[in-house]
Amino acid sequence: MLQRTSIVNHLKVETISFSSFLEIGDSSYIQGFSRAIAVQREAEIFFGNEAQFQSYSIFKESIPLPPITEVITMNTIQLKPAIKVNTIDILGVSSSSVFHVGNSKHVQLESRVEHIRHLTRDSLNGKR
Amino acid sequence: MNYQVYNRDLCVGDIRVIGVSSSSLLMIGDTQTIQLASIFDTPPESLIIGPFVPLTPK
Repeated sequence: MLQRTSIVNHLKVETISFSSFLEIGDSSYIQGFSRAIAVQREAEIFFGNEAQFQSYSIFKESIPLPPITEVITMNTIQLKPAIKVNTIDILGVSSSSVFHVGNSKHVQLESRVEHIRHLTRDSLNGKR
Repeated sequence: MNYQVYNRDLCVGDIRVIGVSSSSLLMIGDTQTIQLASIFDTPPESLIIGPFVPLTPK
């Protein structure tokens, strides 16, 4: 089956970090997984080896996905086999994300984040 | 269900994105299946008020 070609004139990406990638070209299977414990503290204190993933239930539970119960047959006819983009300007691609120029077959990405806020007592009584 | 697609012109001028983050996908192209899942949690006990001690596992 004829596949479309992606045509990008200008592409600018400032940062690609935390196991993310920029793919220019085709791929067949992409699988990504990202876990994070986001601690926002009022003071700049970083202990390094705190908090294990297994102590939070969010990293264990399964994410329910809606089942596809219907038989779907898709038939595509490429009258104009091109996808054209003039310019793409991206500041950041982060935490197992993908910027993909080209075709793929199966893409499966998953992200789990536990948010924690750490405030001091005096900030609550308005001393700050 | 029979899904018939006729692809004609697909032209985009400019795309400006600040961030593609936490298992997200920005794709210029075709694909068969995309399965993105994201879960985040901010339970009441995640708000800690008090001295800054390391987060000990529960």
